[in-house]
Amino acid sequence: MNNPRSTGGQAEAHVNELLSGYLDGELTQQKSQQVRLHLESCQLCTDNLESLRALRERMGQAGLGDTNNDVWREMMDDTTVKVSRGIGWFLFVGGLLIIAGIGVIAFLTSSSLGAGEKLLVSAVYIGLGALFVSVLRQRLIERKTDRYKDVEI
Amino acid sequence: MKNTEMRQELIQLGGGAHALAIQILGNPDDAADAVHDAFTKVLSRPAAYDFNRGPFKPWFLRVVRNQSVDLLRRRRSAEPADALVNPGKAPDQALEILQRDEGLRKALASLPPDQRQILVLRDYLDLSYAEIAGVLDIASGTVMSRLHRARMALREVLERNDE
Repeated sequence: MNNPRSTGGQAEAHVNELLSGYLDGELTQQKSQQVRLHLESCQLCTDNLESLRALRERMGQAGLGDTNNDVWREMMDDTTVKVSRGIGWFLFVGGLLIIAGIGVIAFLTSSSLGAGEKLLVSAVYIGLGALFVSVLRQRLIERKTDRYKDVEI
Repeated sequence: MKNTEMRQELIQLGGGAHALAIQILGNPDDAADAVHDAFTKVLSRPAAYDFNRGPFKPWFLRVVRNQSVDLLRRRRSAEPADALVNPGKAPDQALEILQRDEGLRKALASLPPDQRQILVLRDYLDLSYAEIAGVLDIASGTVMSRLHRARMALREVLERNDE
């Protein structure tokens, strides 16, 4: 700032760096005053400031994102459905597992059934469980590796 | 913040969040996915936002940024930064504006991601330096110098492209 007429060098670089802060109103009062005084006597920095201002305006007016609120409203509704569905599934599966657990304990501790009957019924249910897990695993693998899963027909 | 207020705020922030995510992910479709993930995260745990710690906008943009970075790590397939600006569903916009945006799009695409993000946060989303520091997780003292470098770089590229 000591040599405002210079067109390069350390002093000019310091002013330049403060120009953005000045433009954005982010400098302290003291620094802001310093820059203001400098600008009064330095055409180069004044031009720089104007070009930065124009650049900022251009950025501000550009279409950088999808500004159609309907798109986001739709996405929000979709998200709400997914979140509530996730909570629903969590409660349903959690409740089902607790009921199944109580059922299994009641079944295994029941004295009215013999060991052979218990073994037979357990084999059927374990078999069903194994089939379910196997199909689920296959589906999950397919879901991960299927590159056309997002293609709408 | 009430749920309906939060939803309304999120809808308003969608476009800006999309713009930020595009700068990180490189294409509008992945960016929309990141915004969607951020919506899900925020709506499933709305209590995570503490209004005592600052405004909602920078907080949400930070969530969007984190989701975008996560998505980028997962996919590792961001397209070349050629589609950096929303292709636009804007048939009514004047050709001149489209051409001007196209020039800016190309210039932005040539900058490093850090510079693109800080430019969008300040000049497009109008965040304060303190808010930018929060979103980018950097010291607030470095925002001004980093932003200035980004602006100078963008200006230089635009001038070069105009020649």
